[in-house]
Amino acid sequence: MEVTTRLTWNDENHLCKLLGNVSLSLLYKSSVHGGSIENMVERCSHQGCTITMTYIDDNMIVAFMLGNYINLHESSTEPNDSLWFSLQKKNDTTEIETLLLNTAPKIIDEQLVCRLSKKDIFILCRDNKIYLDKMITRNLKLRFYGYHQYLEREVFRVEGIKDNLDDTKRIMKAREHRNRLLADIRAYKPYADLVSEIRILLVGPIGSGKSSFFNSVKSIFHGHVTGQAIVGSDITSITERYRIYSVKDGKNGKSLPFMLCDTMGLVGAEGTGLCMDDIPHILKGCMADRYQFNSHKPITPEHSTFITSPSLKDRIHCVAYVLDINSIDNLSSKMLAKFKQVHKEVLNCGIAHVALLIKVDDCSEVLQDNFLNMSRSMTSQSQVMNVHKMLGIPISNILMVGNYASDLELDPIKDILILSALRQMLRAADDFLEDLPLEETGAIKRVLQPSI
Amino acid sequence: MAVTTRLTWLHEKILQNHLGGKRLSLLYKGSAHGFCNGVLLDRCCNQGPTLTVIYSEDHIIGAYAEESYQERKYASVILFALQETKISEWKLGLYTPETLFCYGVTKYNSPANFQIDVRNRKVITDLKTMENLGLAHKYTISIQDCEVFRCEDSLDERKIKGVIELRKSLLSALRTYEPYGSLVQQIRILLLGPIGAGKSSFFNSVRSIFQGHVTHQALVGTNTTGISEKYRTYSIRDGKNGKYLPFILCDSLGLSEKEGGLCRDDILYILNGNIRDRYQFNPMESIKLSHHDYIDSPLLKDRIHCVAFVFDASSIERFSSQMIVKIKRIRRELINAGVVHVALLTHVDSMDLITKGDLIEIERCVPVRSKLEEVQKKLGFALSDISVVSNYSSEWELDPVKDVLILSALRRMLWAADDFLEDLPLERTGNLREEIIKCAQGKK
Repeated sequence: MEVTTRLTWNDENHLCKLLGNVSLSLLYKSSVHGGSIENMVERCSHQGCTITMTYIDDNMIVAFMLGNYINLHESSTEPNDSLWFSLQKKNDTTEIETLLLNTAPKIIDEQLVCRLSKKDIFILCRDNKIYLDKMITRNLKLRFYGYHQYLEREVFRVEGIKDNLDDTKRIMKAREHRNRLLADIRAYKPYADLVSEIRILLVGPIGSGKSSFFNSVKSIFHGHVTGQAIVGSDITSITERYRIYSVKDGKNGKSLPFMLCDTMGLVGAEGTGLCMDDIPHILKGCMADRYQFNSHKPITPEHSTFITSPSLKDRIHCVAYVLDINSIDNLSSKMLAKFKQVHKEVLNCGIAHVALLIKVDDCSEVLQDNFLNMSRSMTSQSQVMNVHKMLGIPISNILMVGNYASDLELDPIKDILILSALRQMLRAADDFLEDLPLEETGAIKRVLQPSI
Repeated sequence: MAVTTRLTWLHEKILQNHLGGKRLSLLYKGSAHGFCNGVLLDRCCNQGPTLTVIYSEDHIIGAYAEESYQERKYASVILFALQETKISEWKLGLYTPETLFCYGVTKYNSPANFQIDVRNRKVITDLKTMENLGLAHKYTISIQDCEVFRCEDSLDERKIKGVIELRKSLLSALRTYEPYGSLVQQIRILLLGPIGAGKSSFFNSVRSIFQGHVTHQALVGTNTTGISEKYRTYSIRDGKNGKYLPFILCDSLGLSEKEGGLCRDDILYILNGNIRDRYQFNPMESIKLSHHDYIDSPLLKDRIHCVAFVFDASSIERFSSQMIVKIKRIRRELINAGVVHVALLTHVDSMDLITKGDLIEIERCVPVRSKLEEVQKKLGFALSDISVVSNYSSEWELDPVKDVLILSALRRMLWAADDFLEDLPLERTGNLREEIIKCAQGKK
């Protein structure tokens, strides 16, 4: 008899991606290796992380993932983590639901039993019968509960993660958190509706990852890695035009409530890179999209695209200083001087500002386990302290991200960092808008009112 | 203890290829599950074809059984010895699992030329077997670790079924694709690359998929001169008499590191949409503005919306510095002109060690990944912009695995074209939108 899984190749790929690019290795198949629980455990103990699939019928699978089968034999009642899944085929797609339970199955009377507060919630019997409590089926969106006949059981080793479930749990939680952040940003509205889109300016040394940051943001909202802004990997900057990018929520979706303004990179030497005298004009909103930068000469009011009387919506509402986290400690003194100069202009205009540290090596280290705050080990790094001292930016506004540069697939943990950074920028922009002198906002409100 | 194999990628690959394209699935590992002959058999019986791998000090010995190990049943066993990258083979003959793994009654009594005793961490053998395997003459070999794998076909029925489904969904996505904002009806993709990189073959491959069998509309050259001397813009029909698909592939003269080949100004004219289909290239000079194939004021629909650089995977390392400079310069010009571009790596299946069975998960293959990194490093492409394909050349019939790679590459090009269209200055698309609206109103 052939030892091949019942799982379709597409469902297998889907599941592997969901679990964080793992691969599955079939260890046990009830129709080949004997149907008793003992047969199963014999082959699957000490195999590291495993996933046990119960095929209810051709269109429905209930599965659980364990750190190790070894716990099955122990009589200890200490609960353990387990991840539960349901895979259901509907039309042409497979829907996967997940559930995290703090309980692990044990063998009781030759049955695999799972208890939660002394109640049996799951039983795998030897005569191809399964019992599922309402609690599980409700969470996994299954249409039945109680006892049910099943076709087959299979156990796979999950390869490509560490031996416990922590990694997988983290990815699951990350996905949920990412979806919350996405929803937050989609629903975001600038303070008091003073503007409809927040303009975020990206400034920083050449090659620090400004354009990549835009690409990363767009990739997340489009669902695949994209490169609208062409990115340079050589020393010369690729961005020679001022670009104001709006991001759409999917290909034909509506525009999101922010715009990313991409500038030419800063260079230490005089006469190259972004011209320092352009900065006040950019901040005030005088520079139009696609303006061709000239390192030697700033834009003048005589330029054909110069915006002479920019309104609040044209202004920059938040500045993000973009820095490569690996080069912060050895920025040249000339670069530092330029940075300080930019910062002075930003402070003069009273604009909100954050620092965006790019090219973080290990994105999973940046946040605490619940993804709500940055971890202490990151915030205490010398690079962060340096930026804090150099620009006087509060540590909570020193944001760390890893761009999508060499990835083929989106990664929920990377997404979270990018979206969290974006959210902090929007929050900072709100502070700026709220803090505007009344005459500026007042004037705008007056202009707005007649139309309402 | 992590249950992962000790085999390096290279060794695993050599064994896989030697077995005729098998995927290895680890069932037992001595250092994780205990060096006990009974445990090994419990885990590895009834698992289909298996490969037992023994790690000794300086070489690896494999024992492949084509049938499942079953209690007291004979299975024919083939031995392998792997020293560095050299593999040797010797048919051992019929063995029961009990004899082979020194278990139960038959322990050391039966006359055997080769026995694996994991409990005592040694292989007992005779000199003849060692000689046949090309190994040093020894009666015992100490075992550092022992692993048993199930051998699965890397392309079994289940996977082919899955690939066919994936192919179906890609095909439907491409058929129903609409360019961003409906700014144009068809996306024009320009194929650029060195002579013989597989530009015309890529077009032929795409067309083949939509025709349902391998076709060769564009003549393909294998010699260094390249065969495409005319500029060709190919629209592709969905089936023999079907309607046109929403993209056009534009095939150009190959780039050459020396004189000849596509000249620089012609590239710019092509990008702008100035050059008509079937224009005869002149490698010495660019198109004359008075030429009858020169289009004076091309529209958005005439211009190139995405450039795909086509490179032969096996020649990336051998690119001359002139070629690299040339490609980088073109890339720079594309960037200045705001044209998006992606890269296409062809002929991946002719790389060392890579077999057809690898195409299903080609991006996981270590040598392919290092090629991608090479393209990224040398030419500056982002990894996410590089697609890997294997064009149709000698086949008669389509292969769903190849189709999936080709169609995925095409989808990536259309994504890039969408980025381009979205990024167009408003005044240009604005005018067009008005024109579209006018046209639509006119029709009503």
